[in-house]
Amino acid sequence: MSDYFAGIDIGSTMTKVVIMNDGIISSIIGPTGPEQRRLANRVMENALNQAGLPFDAITYLVATGYGRINVPFADKQVTEISCHAKGVAHLFPECKTIIDIGGQDSKGITIDHGRPTDFVMNDKCAAGTGRFLEVIAEALEITIEACGGMALKSKEPAQISNICTVFAEQEVVARLAEGVPLNDLVAGILESLASRISRMVKRLKVANEVVITGGGAKNAGLVKALSDKLGYATLVPPEPLITGAVGAALLGKDIVQKATKNSLPLERKKRSLEEIEIL
Amino acid sequence: MAEEEKKQERKKRRTATEAASSIGAMVKAAIGGTVKAKEEGKKLAYSFIVCSYDEIIRAMDVVPVWTENYAGVCGAKRDAERFLERAESQSFSRSLCTYALCGLGFDQWREELGEMPPDAPWGGQARPDFMLSSGQILCDPRNKWYQAAQQYMPDVPIYDVGLPYPLYEDDIEVADVQDYYIKYIVAELRGLVKFLEEQTGKKMDYDRLSELVDLGERTWNLIWETYELRRAVPTPMGTGDAMNTMVPMVFMMGTQEAYDFYLDLNKELKDKIARKEGVVEDEKYRLLWGGGLPSWFALTDFNYFNSKGAVFPVETTYRMIEPIYRLNMPDTNDPIERLAWRWLGYWTYWYDKAKKRPGSEPDVERLIQYIEDYQIDGVVMHEAFSCRTWHLGLIWQLNQLRKIYKPIPVLILGQDGKKGEEKRELPSLILESDIIDISTYSEVDTRNRIDAFIETLEQVRKNKADRR
Amino acid sequence: MNEQNSTVMSKVERYYKDYGIRARELKKEGKTVISYLCSLVPMEIITAAGLVPFRIRGNVNEPITKGDTNLETIACPFIRSCFDLSVKGWYDFCDGIVIPHGCDSMTRPYSTWRYTLGLPYSHFINVPHTVSGPSMEFFTEELNTFRKSLGRFAQKEIADSDLIEAIDLYNENRDKAKALYDLRKSDPPLISGTEMSKILTVGMSLPVTEANELFAEVLEELTQRKEAPVHKAPRIMVDGACIDNIDFVKLIEDSGANVVVDSLCIGTRDYLPHTDVGGDPLDALAHRYLDKINCPRTYREKAEGAYEKDLTARFGDIGSLGKEFKVDGVILYVYKYCDPFGFEVPARKAYLDSLNIPVLYLEDEYSAGIIGRLRTRIQAFLEMIE
Repeated sequence: MSDYFAGIDIGSTMTKVVIMNDGIISSIIGPTGPEQRRLANRVMENALNQAGLPFDAITYLVATGYGRINVPFADKQVTEISCHAKGVAHLFPECKTIIDIGGQDSKGITIDHGRPTDFVMNDKCAAGTGRFLEVIAEALEITIEACGGMALKSKEPAQISNICTVFAEQEVVARLAEGVPLNDLVAGILESLASRISRMVKRLKVANEVVITGGGAKNAGLVKALSDKLGYATLVPPEPLITGAVGAALLGKDIVQKATKNSLPLERKKRSLEEIEIL
Repeated sequence: MAEEEKKQERKKRRTATEAASSIGAMVKAAIGGTVKAKEEGKKLAYSFIVCSYDEIIRAMDVVPVWTENYAGVCGAKRDAERFLERAESQSFSRSLCTYALCGLGFDQWREELGEMPPDAPWGGQARPDFMLSSGQILCDPRNKWYQAAQQYMPDVPIYDVGLPYPLYEDDIEVADVQDYYIKYIVAELRGLVKFLEEQTGKKMDYDRLSELVDLGERTWNLIWETYELRRAVPTPMGTGDAMNTMVPMVFMMGTQEAYDFYLDLNKELKDKIARKEGVVEDEKYRLLWGGGLPSWFALTDFNYFNSKGAVFPVETTYRMIEPIYRLNMPDTNDPIERLAWRWLGYWTYWYDKAKKRPGSEPDVERLIQYIEDYQIDGVVMHEAFSCRTWHLGLIWQLNQLRKIYKPIPVLILGQDGKKGEEKRELPSLILESDIIDISTYSEVDTRNRIDAFIETLEQVRKNKADRR
Repeated sequence: MNEQNSTVMSKVERYYKDYGIRARELKKEGKTVISYLCSLVPMEIITAAGLVPFRIRGNVNEPITKGDTNLETIACPFIRSCFDLSVKGWYDFCDGIVIPHGCDSMTRPYSTWRYTLGLPYSHFINVPHTVSGPSMEFFTEELNTFRKSLGRFAQKEIADSDLIEAIDLYNENRDKAKALYDLRKSDPPLISGTEMSKILTVGMSLPVTEANELFAEVLEELTQRKEAPVHKAPRIMVDGACIDNIDFVKLIEDSGANVVVDSLCIGTRDYLPHTDVGGDPLDALAHRYLDKINCPRTYREKAEGAYEKDLTARFGDIGSLGKEFKVDGVILYVYKYCDPFGFEVPARKAYLDSLNIPVLYLEDEYSAGIIGRLRTRIQAFLEMIE
């Protein structure tokens, strides 16, 4: 019987579950928003169903992300920094720098052979995260998904001087009333966000290859703006949301292999799909 | 940058005086001059304003590079952000003094490139031969900024000039401690002379220094007399202009050019007063800029006040002079000692007055004096988030002012011919933003606050009229 | 951990939780209590005057409210908390306050403190920014002004012999603090970082004789500990400005590390340097408080313009502590709005990099409510250095 490893990455807006043996056999993404905060276990359940596995078949399960602390069925908790490093290195062996743009935080990680060597994080201020985009999109009455394409059409991105989310919201509404084209405004907002993220990431020793993950990676306009600001070409995984969960599963595999090799006991939790209390 | 913004930037801010409108070109020439001086092989020193060493630098023919000025220029041109971002990328917190962050971002970039950063405002800030830090009660960044800059210029030496002054205490008079303060400051300034002699390879000419100190003292007196002309109703010059006319005071002290500038300004103000020409046509409210450095990128806010009939005949900010003859300076021919006494005299100038009013304090006393001398209707302050030096204690000063100044009655003659008495009501406004970090500024929010403040002033006036 | 059974550790716990309890009792007994901010106030002079020195502490669990009506929110959050607790009356047993020129955040609002608290005694000590012959001479004079001013208030002339006696008591206290630090050299350490923080913080709230007795009791008990209170784990040093609450150190230890040493106030920076004995006591105090307390608020340039060598002059003590206590990593912990430390962050990081010591830089706001957001960073750092 082959071993199965699962990774669950509970982010502030999305929960991601990946089940692997030699490759990915199942991956599910579901919401973690305020209403669904107790539903993260459902995502696990869906992933097991997709893989056609009973929960007991999972040899080792690692939880990561903002909600990792209270996962009752996880054998180990590892931070998303280490998991992203592991997961991205698996997909892009030459990767040296990761930029993860999530719903409520963003981070930069430099890695060497799948291990983080340094990192920076912003979770204090909405302005450098997906939340900024969400607020602005709402003010402009457009969808977040549409932003990327709109920005790419702009020839002259508007200059947004305010960093503070509240002020920036006032500013874009005023500029829209002045008649600044919507595409230019959206492009300006993405540039502002990219600039905020890039100056945080530049605290690290950025090197090629640079991989962007998280929800922000799905926004082509943001990825382009970020590449420009950083002065580096960037790569995006086929599914940028699951790299943390992939890394978690792979770290679990490492732990099991190390334990087997050294004949060490493995501490494992009961496999029951209890609700997860996310703080 | 969008075209329309460029246009906005080019449009010159309206000033009341010719003198103020001539400042932009003057600063540009001075900054360009440092780059040129460097090419000519002159010695350049990173310097801080208000450090009592102006005349010493000038007498040694050292060219000061005023790093605070350059950061302010970047701010005024709305081009500080990229330097602030660079500093942030170097792991400097964005909550620190943004002048210093802007300067450090600029220095790091210039040193990395080996030349000026692209499109550097006004040609850029030249690389110094040495840096003159200042350890005072005044400002932590003055003690830390250049040391941090040394990370990018490890070969550039620093001299840190200690310049303390005693804080106001109930149980201690300045006279009790001044001897050891003066002794220390003199030793520090002599140490500076020695450092400059080593760096430039030439000896200080003390006769020349004495002449420049004379000139500096005459300039102090002239500025004081000139600024006092602004008491006139309508006032011929406001704080918006003063944020320009401070340039010769703090960047050119000890030069004939500075003295001549204030001669011209003096004449201009007298002419305006003779013609009864005010900052605004219909002067309604006279305000005191009671503390805080301005937002250099939003000096047009002063014009906005003006558009509501409000003027600022006086400000505490950048009025870095007092009349020399009132500073109780002892007779001495030693120019270094004179500089030390001037330093101490300036910072303790209001102490005696404060002792006379229970509950008062020098900074509050200064506000009261200006309120009375300049017939002030309201106080405006600015809290710049990144600068603790000038912006801590302001709220308390306003609270204390309210507490101790209220009992001062103003006698009035009512419409019915009866004598009455009323208490001064002095509304105040605190604006919040930064010196050069535009990302914290909201024009909409600022102007809303100004509108509300003007309405309060109107209401106070109406209440007074109703009572008559 | 057998903390529950330990009478001395429960005393420490009580003194920590009800900070100032002894000073309050002493005040009731008729003693005069003089509060102070920062590590730059010579406690020896207060003790020599026959008064009780009491260090004002902030509290990360108490939201800042009342203080904000008189002190700008752009001040250092630690100072804001100290001010807030003071105006809320937490330290109303104090008869005076002494504020040194540590940094802008404590200096600029000196009048704000003085008038708002309205205490019978207040004094400001001007500390120069450089270490040189003239600055040392100036500082000695300034301490003499303080000595005379406090003497007038206490109606006691503070004699040299009084100072010498106080200096001896504080040096004894520093020896004991050093002995406590030595317990942390073993792996695992015989005392946790959280316990240590509590003990050192409490020490600042007691008359020095009582602090000496307490430290002696703690030492006696801890040296008899059969087993370490913590497991083997990565050994961390915390570097930064002032930490006077256990919450941050506890967060690090809860994340799976042992805090074994620090470069902090309240910590090695202010607890370990001795005052020289044998010479003029005031000169010796000036030397200790200006030169020996290595805070970035004081400009240090020892290698005459050679920046690289200056790094060792400025930060060498951090490097040697790291070596002595065999640390695996350093967490550089700086408050928002802290200009003295903030401008040194890149240099401190570069210095630690040059020693191949991993470093994590965290900026925080002195609030337990949001300290948890640092957890992921700390855990990731520990995963990184493992």
